[in-house]
Amino acid sequence: MAGYSRPLSFSERRGSTMSCGEELSLSTTSAGPVIVNQRLDKMAQPRPRGPPTPSMNTPAADFDQQLTGSPPHPPTPAASPGPTNAQPDWSDAADDEDFFLANVRQVFKTCSGPHRNRILADLLNMCTTQQLSFVHQFVSPLLKKDPFTSLPDELCLRILSFIDDPQVLARASQVSRRWRDLLSDDVTWKNLCAKHDYGRRLSEVYYGVPSYAASRPGALPLTDPDYANHSFPGALPGSAAYYAASRSVDGSSDTALIERPKLRSYKSHFKQRYLVESAWRTGGRHTTRTITQDGRVVTSLHLTPKYIVVALDNARIHIFDREGNALRTLQGHIMGVWAMVPWEDVLVSGGCDRDVRVWDMANGSCLHTLRGHTSTVRCLKMSDANTAISGSRDTTLRVWDIRQGVCRNVLVGHQASVRCLEIKGDIVVSGSYDATAKIWSISEGRCLHTLTGHFSQIYAIAFDGQRVVTGSLDTSVRVWNAYTGEAIAVLQGHTSLVGQLQLRGNTLVTGGSDGSVRVWSLEKMCPIHRLAAHDNSVTSLQFDDTRVVSGGSDGRVKVWDVKTGHLVRELITAESVWRVVFEDEKCVAVANRGSRVMMEVWSFSPPEDAYERPVSLPQRLAEPSPTHPLTADFRRSTLGLSSIDMDEDSGSQDIDMRDAGPSTAPLAGNTTFFHDD
Amino acid sequence: MSENNGPIMVTLQSNDMQQIQVEKAIVERSMLIKNMLDDLGDGVIGQTIPIPNVTEPVLRKVIEWCEHHRGDPPSTNEDESDNRKKTTDIEEWDQKFMQVDQEMLFEIILASNYLDIKPLLDVGCKTVANMIKGKSPEEIRKTFNITNDFTAEEEEQIRRENEWAEDR
Repeated sequence: MAGYSRPLSFSERRGSTMSCGEELSLSTTSAGPVIVNQRLDKMAQPRPRGPPTPSMNTPAADFDQQLTGSPPHPPTPAASPGPTNAQPDWSDAADDEDFFLANVRQVFKTCSGPHRNRILADLLNMCTTQQLSFVHQFVSPLLKKDPFTSLPDELCLRILSFIDDPQVLARASQVSRRWRDLLSDDVTWKNLCAKHDYGRRLSEVYYGVPSYAASRPGALPLTDPDYANHSFPGALPGSAAYYAASRSVDGSSDTALIERPKLRSYKSHFKQRYLVESAWRTGGRHTTRTITQDGRVVTSLHLTPKYIVVALDNARIHIFDREGNALRTLQGHIMGVWAMVPWEDVLVSGGCDRDVRVWDMANGSCLHTLRGHTSTVRCLKMSDANTAISGSRDTTLRVWDIRQGVCRNVLVGHQASVRCLEIKGDIVVSGSYDATAKIWSISEGRCLHTLTGHFSQIYAIAFDGQRVVTGSLDTSVRVWNAYTGEAIAVLQGHTSLVGQLQLRGNTLVTGGSDGSVRVWSLEKMCPIHRLAAHDNSVTSLQFDDTRVVSGGSDGRVKVWDVKTGHLVRELITAESVWRVVFEDEKCVAVANRGSRVMMEVWSFSPPEDAYERPVSLPQRLAEPSPTHPLTADFRRSTLGLSSIDMDEDSGSQDIDMRDAGPSTAPLAGNTTFFHDD
Repeated sequence: MSENNGPIMVTLQSNDMQQIQVEKAIVERSMLIKNMLDDLGDGVIGQTIPIPNVTEPVLRKVIEWCEHHRGDPPSTNEDESDNRKKTTDIEEWDQKFMQVDQEMLFEIILASNYLDIKPLLDVGCKTVANMIKGKSPEEIRKTFNITNDFTAEEEEQIRRENEWAEDR
């Protein structure tokens, strides 16, 4: 911090330019060592800088000080490290020159500001171009000032807040110690995170508690008024689970869970997100696994904080770790598995054999076989750790207590197969081939509303606690009021079956058998983007704040920018994509290649060496944090990481904690930085 | 105070004891002065308001800006994050206005901060931000006449720390 000293204030300087005084210390030019004592009195002169006015941008420079204070320098107009000043050459000076100048100096000193200007203007008028060039070179560095040593921190940070390019900030931090220190203030990076919409995820704040468990409201979530007011997903502690769970695809309803639970500064958070975004655009690493050698239908795919789970129509369920390494196969179903839902280590599955099975994924054992349905189980969701709800071709829904292994309730009312369902709190909504959707109370076991309007089968449903959205074979998408059961809007545009839906905040994304993916605003009830996504059916889609990932029966997995609607990347090319799921730094797809079913696991996490430990951090940021061991323990125990992994990670952990600046305390309470101030 | 006798004038006194007469409506772009006038009421008219932190040339410059922007709608929204997204947006007149030496520029920033004139403060900060953009560290040093006070090792270290932002 001693590398620079800040002049007190310009105003003081300007205010005293007319008085002779001890202004030597304010010299901006780096004078060489003082050689001659008797010249000191000459040096101790005010810097005669005329007050600049809008019309006159070039205040007079003090030749005086230069000439007397410094020994002759060679003129160095070329770039060299640090500031450069053109210096006059004294090697051929006559003996009496100094004496003459002393007189001039004396006169000049006594002149008023305007008088000085006149003298200078007169002299400058006599100069040749070369001499003017010399003056220019001499003067221009004197007119430059380091803004960050001239202004108080708060204003420096305000200046930095107008920069939204991380490259500019990164370069600025390499200018000098002062700049580096200023640039390590987390406020700047916090602003940048906000500008880039790099919101902190719940998973980075609420570690230790699965977000769905933590956020599951006891009663009706329908009465949560705050929820609708937050357009930024994750802004509310409880809302992320709603968002995450609102996918109608039998895909991951729990991707908002913890993968990288780290406390970190906004700078490292920004860096992390920035590198991840870059990897999504152009980088990433992937591995490919063969799941079956014979062509099979993949019916369901889940990515959980611990596992990748794949269900097939050959009655098998394969469990992999998150890197795609096979862990075990769940065998017990005797016909194709068509629906499943994971909850921590528990998996509930169902299919053509009409049984609902409860599994422990940790050891592969089947905990319960629940009988009751009289036809294929077509959809499954869980409302809490003890309760699963299944929908079946037998037209009923069944509410199961999976701990006791008993059926709590049978929801009867649909006239045809129950194709899809979604749960929020005590409410389950179901879509059926009878062209209606129904809203049920789970605890009362009765139908609250029947949503009529579609002309044919409903294939997909989404529900956020307030609105129900349905997609149908009649090509329309309908939005319903969950409180009253009334239709709010009909969204038209698809030309074929709408089989994919996800609702998140006020954004709805739909995918159809017409190959298009559409992004809708539920605020305005109008389309935002129409993506010509696939040549054939859209078989799978998911989106978050940043991107839409879609898979099609044309064998492509495509990544889209959700804001612009632009294609970001074609991630995978195969023959037919069954399912694709993703989370912040990972994407998993299952597809057919040749006669095989393949799984591709993509990682967009930055390489660990991207978290190199900075050696020279400002003191105030280097304080040890007591939460560090806690974080590490959590990772070890909950994620079940091997000790080798931990060692690799520990370096980055250290850095994350070290440069966690004062503004970073994201424990309970502050869930996102958007609400910090 | 009769309103028929032209606009109400206020006298400001700069740090170097210079007095400047300004229309009240103009000087009220400064929230500091506006609040003061509001608090003191009409009694203050005719008296001299000292501005101890600002010198005359800077004060005149600030008043020049206030005069030009007298018709601007008051900056109602405190929603700053939105404004800051469009960094390079500085209207033409303001760009010209800000074509001053760096010392004057920084003094305008200080004065507008002290006088609480947010739009002017933002124009000043944006101007500096734009001077930083698109430059290498060495170019930034040249722009502001800054000495590189890193050791060679430190420089290499900090370059590596920031390499991530260079990959596009």
